[in-house]
Amino acid sequence: MEILSVKNVKKHFGGVKAVDGCSIRIETGTVMGLIGPNGAGKTTLFNLISGFEKGSGEITFKGMRTDKLPPFKIARCGMVRTFQIPRALSKMTVLENLLLAPKAQHGERIWNVWLRRKSVQMQENTIKEKSREILEFFEISHLEDEYAGALSGGQKKLLEMARAIAIDPSLMMLDEPFAGVNPTLARKITGYIDELREGGMTFFIIEHDIPAITKISDKITVMSEGKVLTEGTPDEIRSNPDVLNVYLGGEG
Amino acid sequence: MTGLTGSAGCFDAILPYIVTILLISSIYAIFALGLNLEWGFTGLLNFGHVAFFAIGAYTTVLLDLWGCPLVLSIIAGVALAGFFGFLLGIPTLRLRADYLAIVTIGFSEVLRFILLNEEWLTRGPFGVYGFERPFQDVIPYQYYNTFLLILYVAILVAIYASLERLMHSPWGRVLKSIREDESVPSALGKNVFWYKIQSLMLGSAIAGLAGALLAFYLQYVSPATFKPIETFHAWIIIILGGTASNRGTIVGALILWTFFSGTKFISRLVPLESHQMGAFRMIVIGLLLMLLMMYKPEGIFGKKEELALSD
Repeated sequence: MEILSVKNVKKHFGGVKAVDGCSIRIETGTVMGLIGPNGAGKTTLFNLISGFEKGSGEITFKGMRTDKLPPFKIARCGMVRTFQIPRALSKMTVLENLLLAPKAQHGERIWNVWLRRKSVQMQENTIKEKSREILEFFEISHLEDEYAGALSGGQKKLLEMARAIAIDPSLMMLDEPFAGVNPTLARKITGYIDELREGGMTFFIIEHDIPAITKISDKITVMSEGKVLTEGTPDEIRSNPDVLNVYLGGEG
Repeated sequence: MTGLTGSAGCFDAILPYIVTILLISSIYAIFALGLNLEWGFTGLLNFGHVAFFAIGAYTTVLLDLWGCPLVLSIIAGVALAGFFGFLLGIPTLRLRADYLAIVTIGFSEVLRFILLNEEWLTRGPFGVYGFERPFQDVIPYQYYNTFLLILYVAILVAIYASLERLMHSPWGRVLKSIREDESVPSALGKNVFWYKIQSLMLGSAIAGLAGALLAFYLQYVSPATFKPIETFHAWIIIILGGTASNRGTIVGALILWTFFSGTKFISRLVPLESHQMGAFRMIVIGLLLMLLMMYKPEGIFGKKEELALSD
């Protein structure tokens, strides 16, 4: 069953055709990698799918058209994304970053803070407990009370992934999860992705680190100049001469 | 013996003066708490906060003069201030932060000219007086300011406690995340626009209440009461006290008005005309704020890690 289907999506910035008629389908419970040279339109495609930019074409998530919806409504459907440059909320603590994420919190309605004090408090406790479990999973529990601004680059990446998981998504879109991350941490992140996928989560991952992405992906889409160049299993992609040409620049 | 009566006499003379400072400080503390909610916690740049102060004051006193019960007049003033916050938020809060600043500062001046010129409604430049004050028939006149002070401090404490509670709730958490980077709460499924509207409405309503309280204290309101400088008094208060700190806002109000009143005393010793003295006070305040920004940019009670002005 497919969870996400993108049909002939386009986004032009003036004369620049950032995304120029892309079509991609992702099956539930798989990891789809997205590679391509700089300026291929990968991040713009992410922005279109998550609603941060509007273009033309059809985007269907879990059988529902989402291309006209604002980002927050798309997120509520169960799609969450991270950003290329990690956006940890640096003036909030690590724990607060996670507490922000869960959907449908009673206490997010101003009147409930007064009218449903008990249920707000109970829910808050449950959310706290769950958030701490996630922090433990990512092995950053000891940083719980630190301001996120004090974290290292790699820790911020972990925090952003942790925060994304805290909303309990069915599709996670990661924009360069391995960029600027040391090999040990990269292996750790790979491990987390594998574990979560086994739990039924679907992933769509932009990455430049070819060995890493071929290792965790079930399928890889290659983009070039706003178009989908090809799509296939990691082995097919590795041996495709076109891919070597545009992306690896004849290196292989 | 004489020494004792002497000091008691001095105390009697100074007490009303202290009551006055505390009264005006508490009014401005409430006024600035509204702005602190908008800027300190949500990051909304409101440069026309005084407009909501004016709406609250004028609505309350005019309705009272037209025979509306006092409590209802106050509620109407608060509600109308909140409603105008909503109206201004609808077109501006989807845009970049500076649009709200431009629109609110424009609105506050337009409103002041309406107050000046629509005499059939507002009595124009002569202002409004002769309206009822709360419990004025029950409280003897010589104790009235003391009564107002107790009432206003009680209201201030109630608002402070409510805001603290809100800021520590999930609702407040969403506001803080918007202040920092609104794409994050958006990506996490929060309706950022609606939260910003709520913050602006609530902040404006609080300013409206402060307006009603100011009117009761002054017993008189006129367009000149609501000049743009009042907005910037609120800004000075929250910067001084520490952005995003409700406690700091209250202390900031107290410091600012003690300073304003204290320099009036000193003016007798300084060879300056009264209008020169007014300018001189603003120079000193400007200088103090610059020093504060250089050496303690987070304000007196602000947290450095949460400084809204930094990146």
